[in-house]
Amino acid sequence: MWKKVFKMFIGLYVPLFVLTLFLYYSQKAKQIENITERQIRANTMKKVSFEEKCHSFLRNTNYWASLKYPKNFDPLEEHSSFLRSYLELIEYITIYDQFRFIDLEGKEIFRAERVGNDSIVISALQNKNHHPYVKAGLQLKRNQIYLSQISLNRENGVIEKPYKPVIRTVAPIFDNEQNQIGLVVINFKMKNVLDQMKSTVEDKNVYLLDEDYRVISSSTITEDLPYESGNENSIDGILNTEAITHIRDSTFVENGHIWSQQSINLNGATFTFGSISNLPTEIVTPSNWLLALEIPRTIVKSELQPVFKSLLTFNIISIISLLTLCYIFQKKKVQKELFYKELESKNILLNRSKDLLEENNVMVNEMNNSLEIRNKQLSDFNYLISHNLRSPVTSMSVIVEMIQKEKNPEVLHQLLPKLDKVAKSITNLTEDINDYLSILDTKEIIIIDIDLQELILEVKNKFTETLLDNSGFEVLLNLEAWDHISYSKFYLQSIVHNFISNAIKYKRDNVDSHIQFESAIENKQKVLYVRDNGIGLNLERHGDNVFKLYKRFHRNISGKGMGLFLVKSQLEALNATITIDSKVGQGTTFKLIFEK
Amino acid sequence: MNTKPNILLVDDDELYLYLMEKTIHQISKELVVSTFTDGEQAVEYIAKCTEEQVELPEVIFLDINMPFLDGWGFLNEFKKLKPKIINNINIYMVSSSMRDSDVKRASNFEELTGYVVKPVNKVQLAEIFKKIYHENW
Repeated sequence: MWKKVFKMFIGLYVPLFVLTLFLYYSQKAKQIENITERQIRANTMKKVSFEEKCHSFLRNTNYWASLKYPKNFDPLEEHSSFLRSYLELIEYITIYDQFRFIDLEGKEIFRAERVGNDSIVISALQNKNHHPYVKAGLQLKRNQIYLSQISLNRENGVIEKPYKPVIRTVAPIFDNEQNQIGLVVINFKMKNVLDQMKSTVEDKNVYLLDEDYRVISSSTITEDLPYESGNENSIDGILNTEAITHIRDSTFVENGHIWSQQSINLNGATFTFGSISNLPTEIVTPSNWLLALEIPRTIVKSELQPVFKSLLTFNIISIISLLTLCYIFQKKKVQKELFYKELESKNILLNRSKDLLEENNVMVNEMNNSLEIRNKQLSDFNYLISHNLRSPVTSMSVIVEMIQKEKNPEVLHQLLPKLDKVAKSITNLTEDINDYLSILDTKEIIIIDIDLQELILEVKNKFTETLLDNSGFEVLLNLEAWDHISYSKFYLQSIVHNFISNAIKYKRDNVDSHIQFESAIENKQKVLYVRDNGIGLNLERHGDNVFKLYKRFHRNISGKGMGLFLVKSQLEALNATITIDSKVGQGTTFKLIFEK
Repeated sequence: MNTKPNILLVDDDELYLYLMEKTIHQISKELVVSTFTDGEQAVEYIAKCTEEQVELPEVIFLDINMPFLDGWGFLNEFKKLKPKIINNINIYMVSSSMRDSDVKRASNFEELTGYVVKPVNKVQLAEIFKKIYHENW
């Protein structure tokens, strides 16, 4: 039964499971789409904010580039008074880490460094002509401004500690006569910018990469620019993907992580500072940053958790309820089957008893039939005694009474012979009754298998004389249907004898007379037709009396009126029946139906 | 048939016929009795009488059990002849037994006047004749 339960359960649950899977994946896709959209928005905001910062640096730098410096600008000696008013400004703008003027040879002519947070010191000059930003700066044309890569600050070729990520802006400066006198170089502190940038949004990881896909800053690490600080251990495995590319902005899912990337390339961009009359400034920068946002697998998972949980709950409930349902259904089915089986076996029993009953019924019916026949016989016998015997007896009593009263010897002489007549008729009657009684007493009957043809021919031989005398009479046989029967030989002889005797007695003159015995099977019963072409009988008149005792229908032909009465009695004694069909002047047909 | 018979006896028992005739004559010598030993003969006689428009006997004593045509057969034939019969005829069924089935069957024949059981004695006969002839015999 459990097998069936399980089968049914599988049949019901699998489609449901497939549906839930489909639901889960479509929900997941939708969620991811949602997440991605949010991510792109967050990324764009970060990018804009970063670009904004760069612009503010550039605006700052542009201010210094747009100043008109004295000829042969010597900020430390000759023109220290010119610069003094600006020193306060430099000190006030706290994002300045270093502020320098560099001459056209690449040597510093002014160097201010921030100490702590709100004071600056004028420090020793250095030669920076070999630095890339100086080289690039000297290449700049008027209205061009340089934005360096982000790097850790180095002093005298050594990375300054604590690490200080900076970005440098470089712009050419000019004197009153519009001759270039050098460059202004500002180091901006990037720590805050980077910190702000990598401040996570909704647990997303933020990465800022350079043009070579090196990590400049990331929310997953505390130190910026790990490749510069040479902390090799922390470089590996920061970025878990290789699909990041500068070629185009994109969003993709990799190993359950959702990535979103946007590149920040300011090179060649122009912008206008201050009033419109100013010429637009072009940005020159080697930097080509990449801002990447990563949603780790765990976050994605947790985002999908409610969907997963609800579907899981749904599935568990489905499994339990389906299992229960299947179990109940199958149990009911088994009970039903059991019930039907029981019913069937009961039915079989019932049928069997019904058959038995039917058999009994048939037996009872048969017995009833034979009892009825016997009853009829007894009734007939009763009538025979009461009627036929009573009339001579009463006659006798009347005669005796008369004799007693009569004194006339002549009359007495007449009466006495009548007594003799009565006595004779009583004797005849008792003889006939004896014959009849011997038939009724079926205990004496011996049933044997009889060859009907043989028997008929045997009986026929007894009539040889009669038949020879009346050469016109023939006994015909047609015993194809059956010719053997279990019956009393004595009775059957008597029956056949009576038929032949009657047929001869009541034959028509002037015709070739015959009697025909024809066997047949009707309703599975043996039937014997006995036909003659004799004078026939008016059944309308005599039908009731044909088989009764002492009934005679033909005045001029001798007979006792016992033949057919005995035939019927001998047939009924063995549960056979007889009927008659006859037409006056044509012949008579008897139909004998034997017991099955 | 010079004298018209008054009484018709139909019975196959010749002794009965002899005794009945004797008893009737003991009651009245005037009554003419005619006898037949079976129904067929009796029917033939009645048919002949109706054909010749001769009056029929007033009383018929009819036995039930007879060869050739029994009492019932006679009654059936009599029914057919009745429309042609002029005078009133009293038919008494005579039987040696009072079998229920016979009595019942007899009651279905309106042609029957009565049912008598053998032996019929003088007193019974006298009573029947009294009813019919009003002592005018």
